[in-house]
Amino acid sequence: MKFSQFVGQDNAKLGVILNALEPRCGGLLLVGAKGSGKSTLIRLARGIFPVITPFVEIPLNITEDSLLGGIDIEQSMREGRRIFLQGLIPRAAGGILFVDDINLLPQELLAPLMAFNGGGDELQTCPGSVQQLPRDCCVMGTMNPEEGDIQPHYLDRFGLCAVMDELPDCEKRLDVLRIFREMPNFQVESDPSLMAMVATAKKHLPEVKVGTAELENISAVAVRNPSHGHRGELFLFYAARAYAALQGHDRIAQSDIERVSELVFVHRRLHTSEEHSDLPQDEKHRESATDQMSPPEPEKKAQSMDADFSLKPRGSAVTASGAEETMSIGNPFQVRRLSFKKDRLKRHAAGKRSKTHSLGKGGRHVRSTMNSAEQDIAIDATLRACAPYQKSRGREVKLIIERDDWRFRQRERKTGHLVIFAVDGSGSMGARRRMVAAKGAIQSLLTDCYQKRDKVAMIVFRQDCAELVLPPTSSVELASKRLSTLPVGGKTPLAAGLLETFRLIKRFGVRHPETRFLTVLITDGKGNQSITVDSDHREEEQELCKLLSAEPKCDFVVVDTESKDNFIKTDMAVRLAENLGAEYYTVEALRAELLSELIQSKNRD
Amino acid sequence: MNFPFVAIVGQEELKTALMLNVVDPGIGGLLIAGEKGTAKSTAVRALADLLPEQTVVHECRFYCDPEGELCSLCRERIEQSELETSRKKMKVVELPLGITEDRLIGTLDIEHALKHGEKRFEPGLLADANRNFLYVDEVNLLEDHIIDLLLDSAAMGINTVEREGISFTHPARFILVGSMNPEEGELRPQLLDRFGLSVGVTGLHDKTQRMAVLQRKAAFDENPAAFCARWENEQNALRQRIVNARDGLPHIEVTDPVLEKIVAITAAMHLDGHRPDIVMMKAARALTALRGQKSIGNQEIHDAAIFALPHRQKRLPFEERGGRDKLLKVLEDCLG
Repeated sequence: MKFSQFVGQDNAKLGVILNALEPRCGGLLLVGAKGSGKSTLIRLARGIFPVITPFVEIPLNITEDSLLGGIDIEQSMREGRRIFLQGLIPRAAGGILFVDDINLLPQELLAPLMAFNGGGDELQTCPGSVQQLPRDCCVMGTMNPEEGDIQPHYLDRFGLCAVMDELPDCEKRLDVLRIFREMPNFQVESDPSLMAMVATAKKHLPEVKVGTAELENISAVAVRNPSHGHRGELFLFYAARAYAALQGHDRIAQSDIERVSELVFVHRRLHTSEEHSDLPQDEKHRESATDQMSPPEPEKKAQSMDADFSLKPRGSAVTASGAEETMSIGNPFQVRRLSFKKDRLKRHAAGKRSKTHSLGKGGRHVRSTMNSAEQDIAIDATLRACAPYQKSRGREVKLIIERDDWRFRQRERKTGHLVIFAVDGSGSMGARRRMVAAKGAIQSLLTDCYQKRDKVAMIVFRQDCAELVLPPTSSVELASKRLSTLPVGGKTPLAAGLLETFRLIKRFGVRHPETRFLTVLITDGKGNQSITVDSDHREEEQELCKLLSAEPKCDFVVVDTESKDNFIKTDMAVRLAENLGAEYYTVEALRAELLSELIQSKNRD
Repeated sequence: MNFPFVAIVGQEELKTALMLNVVDPGIGGLLIAGEKGTAKSTAVRALADLLPEQTVVHECRFYCDPEGELCSLCRERIEQSELETSRKKMKVVELPLGITEDRLIGTLDIEHALKHGEKRFEPGLLADANRNFLYVDEVNLLEDHIIDLLLDSAAMGINTVEREGISFTHPARFILVGSMNPEEGELRPQLLDRFGLSVGVTGLHDKTQRMAVLQRKAAFDENPAAFCARWENEQNALRQRIVNARDGLPHIEVTDPVLEKIVAITAAMHLDGHRPDIVMMKAARALTALRGQKSIGNQEIHDAAIFALPHRQKRLPFEERGGRDKLLKVLEDCLG
């Protein structure tokens, strides 16, 4: 298959061509849903570069030394002195580094990769080895936003970005199918005509004139697309010039700038649209990080892949039938990333929210260290360490390994979290449709839990007892189903709800000691039902709060559902939050205040 | 000894979907969703006995296809001389949940490095799975970083290893078969999309069928060899049917009207990407071959859609899966 046979997705194709023509365009990130042809397109790109151009693919399984370079065992052993082996990055000089699913690449490997894409020229790999990095090569990456984000900091380093959310019409779908009918086995073919076109344009590139007027036009476009820093302008300049060369223009025309600006700014654009206009200025800036991927036009946003993950508002028709009713789910909103810092405890579990160093031998082997309490020897690293000295130690048959050569494996996994939703289902929640808003809040949190692969559980307290309606599960879907059928009505057995939460934490903690708990208590705090008949519910609540707040590895958030514009507000939930040592939020504030920060600050370990 | 495939009672959809993947390995695997104890694993393991032989490079640890993509070693070999070939039976390789990264994708051969001071690649499970079935029981419980690696190699059918100074590539065109109990957690959408087909499995409700399950299983437990011998004729017939279908596959023409119908269906279902179209085309063709027909009919397109589309249907994040009614309605509209 040839590059030019690829159907549709003009922006993505243009991005590849511009980079082939001018590596200073800063690489390309393709963002698209599964099966939109991201990887196929980049692999086809091989066909428009001359055969000698290095095309280096970085697999997700890569280790640090392979990426950056390390000691060459074979050579070192033979010669008895350290000989360095080139990593993959230097090997890509003058060519392409290709990373499929770049958002899944471990952070510690993404950092050096993208640092280099920004134009760093020296890189210290292992002690004593500084490698010169090529300047004329670019990174092409793909990502599916459903699988998680890439940090805005690294996103910004990509010169160009194309969102492949074009909905193919039947004609295009047919074209694609025909290609696959003719070619059951996908193979990249070179595309000489396009290659020639790129070569011609490359020759023409230095002749494209850039005067003050052109620079002014570029700045003007950049101002219209507000973004952080000056990378945008710089890349816009290079991309526009390359496009002008491709078009055979002698000067950069306004139309050239306009054509490439979408590619340059789609991932940098800050959100200044009305949806966040209620945020203070600095909030706006930070907000832009999370949902940059979606194009700003509202009608386009509806089709973008992000939209798949933000529920559209459901109808709010609620039938009030007697004392018990089921409320629809209110509008969920984008919750910012909830995240805990990496702590130093060693744990066993898998999950995605926080990283932790793992005990035992599962998990990703991230790097080798010189010292470790666990005797999990990294044989490869040990070998590398001892290899250079074999000659001087007089090796004949067996390797001579000394204590100093030992290296140990350090592994990392992500810890699991259990997010417990304790929901007040009493009659007071039904009033003024507060439950609708509360459900909206829970739904948003659930979306976040899904992306982080947390386990969730749900407890409802109403009438005279608390019930675990959803035992800990990783099926967020199930949680959502339960949520939509949550009934309200009756008294508020807050104490029972707290007790059930406590029991759950205890029970689950025994079997999964590495779990961290986050309890989200959604209530107005107006408990009016005790657990045992003749005790005071307030005392019970206080006792339980004490017990809960003493639990290690537990964090609490209280979401107050009392309507605050009412002058008889009681602020009972405020007191509850104080007793629990919890972060306090009103349902309304949840929208503006960003949940991530509150939870980030709660790292007690 | 495996329970004979033909002796599995009911579960016709599951059996057909597995056989389709043997007929055309390009279909891209199968996701089996269902409760425990519904013959999910039994069927996959039983499939091993029906698998045909295929041509491989002689003594290649990656079962390279002499006509297709080659591993680093075979590429070196072909420089020097023509590749010798031999016939090897396809197999089912199981991926245990607790697998480590090294074990899955392969790594430095420490023993060789120590003995000879040379780097050599020690193949992992993906090497074994090339051109074979890779079966993951409870695929939804697989650790995230392992899924990432699986996706990475599944994407283009090549395992590129860059670890500890080793560079090695080999083809990894495995047919991914996963089973899961949806109650225990969801599958990541990207992995979900990688499965060509999906089937839902439920327990049998018919009393006579339940009886048959019991009788056959008891007889098998009592004397596996005798039980298998009793079913051998039927097994042979099915083996022959699969071989015939594999041979017939290239002769079945996919006409433009067929493609148009497929596209009409996927467009009406608003599906992401092009994979659903491609999988449906392949599944319809394989079904035609398996049924011993000459050309693809509406029935085959209909059945292919039932296999290829349900797990790809767009839904809001927490909406219930399925929506089979919608699919059936679209199929009725498009195929009449």
